[in-house]
Amino acid sequence: MFHADVRDLIRSHTPFSVPDKIRIHTDTTQFMDIKAGDCIAVEGRLFYVKGEEFEGRFGLDGEPKFWVKRVIDLHDGTAKILKLAFFESFFMHLGEERIRCFRSPHKESRILERTAGDARFMQGYTLYDDAGNPVRVIERMAAKTFYDLIHELEMDHETYYEEVFPGIFSNLMKAFYAIKDLHQMGEIHGDIRNDHLLIEHDGGRYRWIDFDYTYEWPGQPYGVDLFGLGNILLFAAGKGFHTLHDLKSSRSPFHAVLSGLREEDFSLFFPNRLMNLKKIFPYVRETLNKVLMHFAAGAEVFYESAHEFIEDLEIAFRSFLWEVPHGS
Amino acid sequence: MGHRILVGIDCSANAQRAVDYVGTMLRPHDDAVITLFHVLVGPQPDIYPDAAQREQELDKRHRRAHRQLEAMAARLAEIGVPPDRIAVKIQVCDPGENVSSALLDEQRRGAYHTVVVGRRGMSKREEFLFGSVSSKIIREARECTVWVVQ
Repeated sequence: MFHADVRDLIRSHTPFSVPDKIRIHTDTTQFMDIKAGDCIAVEGRLFYVKGEEFEGRFGLDGEPKFWVKRVIDLHDGTAKILKLAFFESFFMHLGEERIRCFRSPHKESRILERTAGDARFMQGYTLYDDAGNPVRVIERMAAKTFYDLIHELEMDHETYYEEVFPGIFSNLMKAFYAIKDLHQMGEIHGDIRNDHLLIEHDGGRYRWIDFDYTYEWPGQPYGVDLFGLGNILLFAAGKGFHTLHDLKSSRSPFHAVLSGLREEDFSLFFPNRLMNLKKIFPYVRETLNKVLMHFAAGAEVFYESAHEFIEDLEIAFRSFLWEVPHGS
Repeated sequence: MGHRILVGIDCSANAQRAVDYVGTMLRPHDDAVITLFHVLVGPQPDIYPDAAQREQELDKRHRRAHRQLEAMAARLAEIGVPPDRIAVKIQVCDPGENVSSALLDEQRRGAYHTVVVGRRGMSKREEFLFGSVSSKIIREARECTVWVVQ
């Protein structure tokens, strides 16, 4: 394609001024060199680079992710995200546990293909650049994170639990089923977090994003995902996390229960995070609390599959359907 | 047919303890045949996308497992089990499979009478994340005896 044509496309599909010199990358190996204002051409598709995405992970907030580009598809002017091939291995902290994690573009490409058309997951496809690198083209969503959804709610816990949580629980069940289905395909999500579950502004659908983490171990492949599901459930049921530090603070209304808290009431992975919500919110359903307690330090039996987790959670969920008017 | 014993081996100290225990217990029994079985988890294509690199890594793991099995077989012989009653076997399992399933499959295939595993002494958190091979074997083994060596 001639640069003059590219200029025309940029002019017609973006609000940005056309740079004097256009750089078109057909090999994305050196993704650090691909800057805002450049174009990426893969398999006959052309994308205008607006900039990079930023890390949302605690401790890395605001760091640019140079391998993830915000782009405009010059075919139709839609906003997309391009995830370029970046292989790295690092140790990830799951609370106090540390495990080796690998970033795998191929895994994410495969999951995108296997979940194509399934609205419970982010959607996209993979193109290959001239060097054979997979370039994942992701549909951009107008959405907020599950973390933000919960944090922005301004009400006391009891009101939340009775009036808002049942609706959230219903959506969460669908999202948990999505993970169960993923596991049934032999895949793991790999990085289940409150900010990897997005809620679309339009329609409020819950959708999982970012599937490129993988691990190497011979045992239980789903443990990391189950850890993530437990965290999300706790976050939702508790309207945030409740740490020992919070419970002890001068503004806390829970001083009276402090003496009754035991080590086994707290999270197996985060010893300061209360898992036994019933101790501070007595109205929390026993069936729900029981599921949470499988993630507590006092648990003797752990879930080995999302299927087991959901089976128990269904019992809690049904109790909301019967008893709460807004529970569907 | 003698009494067939399947011993799950990995590169940990608990596997060595299991071998020592089996050797000491079965040394006097002429009819016991001991198979040392190493389940090798193949390198994942997601982590090693290059086929040649994957092959190289598998070969490395295979050689390490073989050395481990040879050392364990020598240990059994030292304890007094005749070498003709010791067999070694390596099985490569796919990344999606797990070690306990591979062990139980081998038990069924070979009609072993006893399965022996060492207990890894995992923390609860590790057990949550990685699962416990010995717990799974105890729970799912059928038509055989299970020894878990502490």
